[in-house]
Parts: sequence; structure tokens; C-alpha cells
Amino acid sequence: MRTDAPSFLAQVMTIVRRDLLRERRSGEVLWVTLPFGAIALLLVPLAIGTDAPTLQRIGPGMFWVIVMLFGVLIAIRQTNAGTQAQRDMVALTGLDPAAIFVGSTTASFMLLLVFETILGIVTIVLYDITPTGWVALPTVLVLAAAGLALLSTLAASIVSTGRSATALVPLLVAPLSVPLLLGATQAWEALRLGRSSLPWVLLMAIVGLLLAVVGVLSARPLQETA
Amino acid sequence: MSDGAVLVDLEGVSVRAGAVRILDDVSLTVRAGEAVGIFGSNGAGKTTLLRLIATLQPPQGGRCSVFGADMYSVARYDVRHRIGYVGHTPGLYPELTLLENLAFVADAQGLPTSEALRSLELVGLGGAADRRADHSSHGMQRRTEFARILMTGPELLLLDEPHSALDADAINLVDTLVHRTVDRGGAAVLVSHDRDRMNTLTTRTHEIKNGTLL
Amino acid sequence: MTANEHRTTVWPWIVMAVAGFHVFVASMTVPPDALQGQLSRIMYVHVPAAWLAYLAFGITMLGSAMYLWKKDLKWDRRAHASAEIGVMFTGMTIVLGMVWAKPTWGVWWTWDARLTLTAIMFFVYLGYLALRRTTDNLDMRAKRSAILGVLAIVQVPLVHFSVIWWRSLHQAPTLLNPEGPSMDTSMVITLLIAVSGFTVMYVAMMFKRIELSRLEDAVLVSEQTSSGPIAGHGITSPDLTGGS
Repeated sequence: MRTDAPSFLAQVMTIVRRDLLRERRSGEVLWVTLPFGAIALLLVPLAIGTDAPTLQRIGPGMFWVIVMLFGVLIAIRQTNAGTQAQRDMVALTGLDPAAIFVGSTTASFMLLLVFETILGIVTIVLYDITPTGWVALPTVLVLAAAGLALLSTLAASIVSTGRSATALVPLLVAPLSVPLLLGATQAWEALRLGRSSLPWVLLMAIVGLLLAVVGVLSARPLQETA
Repeated sequence: MSDGAVLVDLEGVSVRAGAVRILDDVSLTVRAGEAVGIFGSNGAGKTTLLRLIATLQPPQGGRCSVFGADMYSVARYDVRHRIGYVGHTPGLYPELTLLENLAFVADAQGLPTSEALRSLELVGLGGAADRRADHSSHGMQRRTEFARILMTGPELLLLDEPHSALDADAINLVDTLVHRTVDRGGAAVLVSHDRDRMNTLTTRTHEIKNGTLL
Repeated sequence: MTANEHRTTVWPWIVMAVAGFHVFVASMTVPPDALQGQLSRIMYVHVPAAWLAYLAFGITMLGSAMYLWKKDLKWDRRAHASAEIGVMFTGMTIVLGMVWAKPTWGVWWTWDARLTLTAIMFFVYLGYLALRRTTDNLDMRAKRSAILGVLAIVQVPLVHFSVIWWRSLHQAPTLLNPEGPSMDTSMVITLLIAVSGFTVMYVAMMFKRIELSRLEDAVLVSEQTSSGPIAGHGITSPDLTGGS
């Protein structure tokens, strides 16, 4: 029998370890969602033409659209798939719902970073892009992954176990991800034109911060297993 | 027998799914040192009653407290780790091994991971600890759930159809779990349609019929 | 639940009809715009519809926050009614805007900030309405949609800000121009009549929709509290004697 409740951080790490271990075993992100995103990047030039200047111009934008749309799938991969028995088991471990939210978000964030990095390389190769901004670019990648992970995990816990849950989450996430999408694409545009990308980076940071606050505050009211 | 502390207190509780009444005006008090058996046929409301006591099923009416914590209040988050619930379908992650599944619970409750392996050995699954849950039989998954109970040592044990689909060894295991919990000053609530086994294992039994406790 | 609460009101229908008639007469009798001709009459529906859309979503946000604070389903019904009306008027704003834009600008759609934002708002609140369809449990439905309503409070201004920042090509706001309205006085008066007529219609619609929600919820609650069927009654002992 347990004596003291584990610290908040320890609880978060428990969830992160569980999620990453499950991903390592199932390979859902690496072997399913990632190839799906890569083939989407391959389909676009087939549909709109393959001349180099066009591809160079639309490449970064296509990359971000695909990260946002397909990234939702990564963040909700296991949220709705759990059975009632699994959800009961997790609830009765006594883990703090806020720790579960932060843990799931962190695991999704890490998977999204990998997703972005590999798709980024695919984009560079297929669309002949030359990346610039060796400090700003990783910052934007990190903020986009964090924002999307927060938004999707939050949307998934709002929808929870309701009817047609997996179909609804992307509809909730897509319109609200606009500041992230604009932040990411415009920061890139600013870098390319040699302007400061700082305002857009700040915008993304504020979005992430607000989502984190709402997510943590709503975690307990939203943990309803029935 | 009935002078222990009150662990579960239900008063006039009702649960509904839309218009269908699942539990209707159910009152039940369980004290420390008791093993309560509840039997009834399919659809009588047994599972719902057990999930309600486990704080997993909010009631639509009535009062319901577990360890003195009101089901409606946030206090239920602080008593959940003292409840051991085994449903009739195992709640394991299919892609993780039996040991990893238990290690997650150990981790979540701040227990050393070695406890997970030790309790798997106790239930006779030491040799299958590294087998994935979806490669294990239903009986092995149920034994893993019982190992979880051994490991966490809950004060309130809730078992849903504990004897179904088990071999003789595993049935003895269930009985041991119930006795251990009660001997340590906890309480157990068992739900089943098998009246005879209930009678030998429990200190008192109730019949549940059409959502009402008789 | 008394019989009085089940009685439906008639006055909102009358108010809607009277207000609608006034707007119609005003927008048909005002002289046409010098440049755009008869086409400018769309403005008397398009502008008030857009105003209503924003007003309605504002009320939804308020209702959601109030529900989370007071935990009273009345606020949830207000938030929901307003969201539904808002989605309808946003849809109307977009379609009328397109009809106006095609002959005026030569395109159905232009990528300016206000247009994009309106389209995004439409989808945010469509998601809100879709979320409400996923559960029958009144309290859970109210709680989840209120949290989404609040998430929208947090996010929509940021969406607004980012889109504005991204691009702004739309003509300056017609009425709130600091140098005074750039329109003929008769047109301004007509527009004001239209906006207030639409606002009155919104209030009447809110009453009607909340009344309907209250009845819907009463049906759900009576189903859930009166002597409904008992779960176990659907099951009887198998009777295999008649099998062939």
C-alpha cells in the first residue's frame, strides 16, 4: 500500500513513460501517421505541378498545413481509443487529472517534434527548400509542436468519450489552430525576407501559455469516466 | 462484525441511462471487516452498483459516500487509490507486457517497480511477466489484475464476477484476496450471479433485482 | 414543473414579423447607392447579420462563463441558443457577402482579415454545436460546451489578432469611421433601422429558442426521473420449447 502520494512531476513522468512505451510498441506514429503525412507532401506536387519555383514558394506552407492537420491524429492517438476498463484503471490509480493532462501533452509534444523534424526533411528534399534561421526555426518548430499538443489534448478531453468523438476533435482543433498556423508560416516568411520573426514567435508562445492554463484548470472537471 | 468504521454509505441512490432506470433507490452500508456479496441476474444493475461504489459512475440521485468522501465532491480524487476494483473485462494496455502494465500502476502510486514483479510471481505469472497483454489469455489477464490488487493492497476491494472464467488455482486466489483484505481491517464487495459461492465467501449477501436491492 | 412553464409564448413571433417588415420597407424605399445601384440594398441585411453574429457569439461566451461560475443550466441554455442563432447569421453574412462581392469586386471570396475571421468563427461554433450532440447527460453536456465556450474566449481574440495582423485589405468599417460616416444620411438612417430591427429579432429569437430548449430539457429530465423502463425488464428466461 502506498504511503505518500507521488509528486506532481513524478505523476507526469509516469504518464509520459506509459505513452512513449505504448508508441514504441505499437509504432502508430512512426509507421502509420508519419508515412501518411509524407505521402501527402508527395501528392501535392502531383496535383498542382512540379516546376521548381512554385514548389519552393508553396513548400513551407504545405509543410505547416500537413503538420497541423495530421498532427491532431498524433495527439489524439490514444485518448479516445482506450476502453472503459482502461479508463477505470487509470482513474483508480489516483493520478491527478492535471498530471494526466500535462503528461499526455508532453508525450504528444515529443512525438510531434519527431514528426515535424522528419516531415521537414522530406519537405526540404521534395520541394527544394533552403532553411534559414538556425535559432528562430527550431524555436518555431518547438512552439508549434507544444501549441498543437496542448490544443489537441484539451479538445480530446473536452469531447472525451462522447459519441463520434474521434471525428469531432479535428473539427474543434482545426479552426482554433489558426494562430499557430499563421505564427509558424509568417515567422518562416519573415526569416526568408530577412525581417524579425519575433512578433510571430511571441504570438505562438502566448497561445501555448493560455492553452496550458485552460488545460490544467479544466482537467479535474473533465475527468468523468461515465 | 458490524461495528467497524463505515467505508461505503449509499442512501436512496439512483442511476439512469437516458430513460432506463438501472439503479432505483438503493441504500447500502459497508463497514470495515465485512465481505458483502451481491447477486442477481443479467441486467439487474450489479456492475453499475459496483462502479458507483468505485466512484466511477456518478449517481443521478441520492447520497453516496466512500471513505467519508462525497461522490459529488472533488474529495473523491483523494480516496481513489484506496479502492481496488476488478471489472469483468481486464483493463490492460494490449501492447504492453504484463509486467509493464503493473509497473505503470506501481509508478502511479509511488510503489517500487520490484513490487510489480513480486506480485506477478505471487499469482503464478512470474514466467510470463514479459509477455504482451494481447498475447496472453483472458485468464492470465485476470490474474494480472489480481496481482495489481495484491500489489496495491486496497482497503476497499470491489470484484465484478470474480470467479468467472477462472481455473481452480485462480479461484483460490480470489478467495485469498477477499480474506486478506477483510483480515487487514478493510472490506470487500463482490458481485456475482453464483449464489452458492457468494454464501461461503461473504459475511452477508443481498439480492439485486430490477435495480433494487432486496 | 408547472403547467405555466410549458405554455409557449406568441409575442416573439409577432416581434420578429414587425421588426422584419420594418427593415424590409426601410431598405426598399431608401434611394440606391450612386456607384453600386440597387445592389447596395444587400448592405441592409449583410451588415446587421454580421453584427448579430458577433453579438451572438459574445453572448455565448458570457453564458458559458456564467455557467461555469453558477452551475445553473439556464446559462447553458442561453449560451446554446445564442450559438445556434450566431451560426445561422454567420452563414447568412458569408453567403450575402459573396453575392455582394461577385459583382462589386469580381470575385466570390477575397482573403482579407475580416472575411477569413468570420469563416473561422463559423467553424468554431459549428464545432460547439456538434459537441453538444455527443451526450444526453445535461450537466456533462453543459460543462463540456461551457469549457469549449471559454476556450473560444481565449482563442478567438488571438485568431482575430493574428488574422488582422496577417492581412487587412477590407474597406474601412462603414459606420465607425472616425471622420464620420462616408454615406448619404438616408442610407445611414436605414442602416441604423436595419441594425436595430435585427437586434430586436435576435432578442425575440433568443426567447423562442430558450423556451424550446427548456421544453427539450424538460422532456429529457422527465424521461430520466419518471418511472421509465427498468433495465432488467428487457430480459426474460429463454424459451426454447417453440424452436424448430
